[in-house]
Amino acid sequence: MNLQVVYCTHQTASLSVRERLAFSSPDHLSDAYNALKERFPQCEFVIISTCNRVEIYTAHDAPGSGPNLRQIAQFLSEYHDVPLDDFYSELSEKSGTDAVKHLFDVASSIDSMVLGESQIVNQVKSAYDAAARATACGLLTNTLFQRALTVSGRVRTETRLSEGRISIASVAVIDFGKSIFDSFADKTVLVIGAGEMGEETLRYLKSEGVKRILVCNRNPDRALRLAHEFGGIARDWATLDDCLAEADVIVSTTGADRPIIDVPRFKAVRKKTGDRPVFILDVAAPRDFDPAVGKIDDNVFLYDIDDLEATCQRNRKNRAHEIEVALKIIEEETARFVHDLNHKSTGPIIKQLREHWQDISRQELDQLFRKSPNLAEPDRQAIERTVDRIVNKLLHPPLEVLRDESRDGTPHGLLDAIRRLFRISG
Amino acid sequence: MIHFDKVSTLCFFASYLVALGLELTQFLRSSRINRWAAIGFTGAGLIAQTIYLVHRTRESGMPPLVGSMHDWLLVLAWVAAAVYLVLMLKDRHLGLGVFLLPLILLLVSSSTRMSKVSRVRDAQYAVEMLHASLLVFGIAGVAIAFLLSLMYLVQHNRLKHKTPDPDSFQLYSLERLGRMNWWAVVGSAPFLTLGLASGVWLAWNSRTTSTPVDLLSPGYVGSGIMWLAMMALFGWLVSRQQSSGKIVAWRTLWACGFLLVTFFCFEMFSSGIHGQKKAPALPNLSRIWFPEAHT
Repeated sequence: MNLQVVYCTHQTASLSVRERLAFSSPDHLSDAYNALKERFPQCEFVIISTCNRVEIYTAHDAPGSGPNLRQIAQFLSEYHDVPLDDFYSELSEKSGTDAVKHLFDVASSIDSMVLGESQIVNQVKSAYDAAARATACGLLTNTLFQRALTVSGRVRTETRLSEGRISIASVAVIDFGKSIFDSFADKTVLVIGAGEMGEETLRYLKSEGVKRILVCNRNPDRALRLAHEFGGIARDWATLDDCLAEADVIVSTTGADRPIIDVPRFKAVRKKTGDRPVFILDVAAPRDFDPAVGKIDDNVFLYDIDDLEATCQRNRKNRAHEIEVALKIIEEETARFVHDLNHKSTGPIIKQLREHWQDISRQELDQLFRKSPNLAEPDRQAIERTVDRIVNKLLHPPLEVLRDESRDGTPHGLLDAIRRLFRISG
Repeated sequence: MIHFDKVSTLCFFASYLVALGLELTQFLRSSRINRWAAIGFTGAGLIAQTIYLVHRTRESGMPPLVGSMHDWLLVLAWVAAAVYLVLMLKDRHLGLGVFLLPLILLLVSSSTRMSKVSRVRDAQYAVEMLHASLLVFGIAGVAIAFLLSLMYLVQHNRLKHKTPDPDSFQLYSLERLGRMNWWAVVGSAPFLTLGLASGVWLAWNSRTTSTPVDLLSPGYVGSGIMWLAMMALFGWLVSRQQSSGKIVAWRTLWACGFLLVTFFCFEMFSSGIHGQKKAPALPNLSRIWFPEAHT
């Protein structure tokens, strides 16, 4: 199996690195696929880019024909115009079975910052859809990602990982928002951006009793749709500063490739609001708020994704048992996937071998029946069954060896030996 | 048969001390057992303290509020312990113990330095009772404001440093702490004012007695300055439009802290108390808060 993944996640790299390597918009992603296909035309690709991870999966036919870690890093460096030294040490790589398990971990939210969160499944699915649209994926990545979504469903059904705090928004609001405000019912919530994360945050805040919601997005139609869904008010992008001044809680989730709110801009907003407490949750990657905004005054409480890491680690410790159950499922599914995949690779040889031997036996039987035309039909059938049994018994040992060997990967040597021994082409 | 006279301040002081120790272990490792044990020890301490106060009342024939300074401080500690128990039983994740239990211990230990000699019921009894009650509420309000400000600053610091909310050391939200702090200051100011006014009235009446109280003594003047500080804070809180909660917390902490420290220092390092036998070396606040004691 020629599969590998090069990645940086919240566990391996800081947000300041991840946000520089992120593919924040569909256009970026599409460009990236074109660039990758141009560089490595023989390969299949799927890119997963979220606030917590940037991962590039590559698959290829021949061993050694795919890009290595250095080449992928070089691509990221050139594509994002980021010096290689700034992030190379924070990249990780996995290949083969480990890469499969990694994707299953990701899709099952085992690798997520917020254990059991549901957004990641949609993010994996969106990444796969985007790769398919860009005609970047192929047979192996198709099989892999479809299986990953199935595994994710199984983990959710057979474990209790999805119970309790299940979104980044809920973790942030419970741990920090509720320590600032006693109640959200009398607060104004501003959501900047109208993506899935914004939607998820609003769903949670709505359950906390929020009544006044403002949605501000560059695309007014999407703002209107989100505002309508949660009983909020869609605001024009040009009025963002006024919205910021009105809000007590700000959730920013845009796909902007650089901060949209810097210190001078937010200082001007604070001049209008006084030093009323404001809770800002910046879940975008790259970040929408300059981190220095949090230092403007004592009542600006700014949190980004990485600020939730410690809470999420504690949450993870509390659910060690569920993680164990999920990991067992993932290991089992990984082994099954790898076996299926390898078995599939031995399939053509087995088929040809069987057909070859059956052809020989058919030829010999025809010859026998021509020489003995007086053989009764029951006798003919008995002879045919005996020959079939002989062929099957002769085929059994090599096929069994092939099956056993394919558990640990495609047995290229053995397949080659069979081809040569039995003169099978292809 | 229960021997009420065997219950001493040491009994409930030890209970509160163990409770505080158990609360402090929450910083090392969150434990529900320790939290329940802390609540249990505080409850035991409160029962012992109640028995002690009941016994003192029976002995002197005077309510603890006006019996002696020793009893007065114990009533204050009793109120604090009761508040702590109620709040903890309502929400066991709160980390109030590390704030309230030291105050309770301070009050109990301070009370041991005060005279236990109970005064006798006289003609001024009703005014004295009112005076002492107002001061209990006033000082309790100041102490609560002080603790709330402290909690505000701890919570604010946690939020600014983005530290996760500890499971067993949760505090109220900044919004609620700010609101409670405002009410504690605004509520305690009238009690202190009326308590002080009734004390002045009692001192004024003492002119005709054999031991008149000098209203211009440093103790009285100091007390007046402290009261003015509280009034300034009160006025600022009532009139402020937009002030950072952190600034409010710091000012409250300083003002209330100053008042409490001064009050306890005067009481601890001077010997003036109700029904004291020896004249105080320094002008002390008990003469101001309890001027009738010196008559």
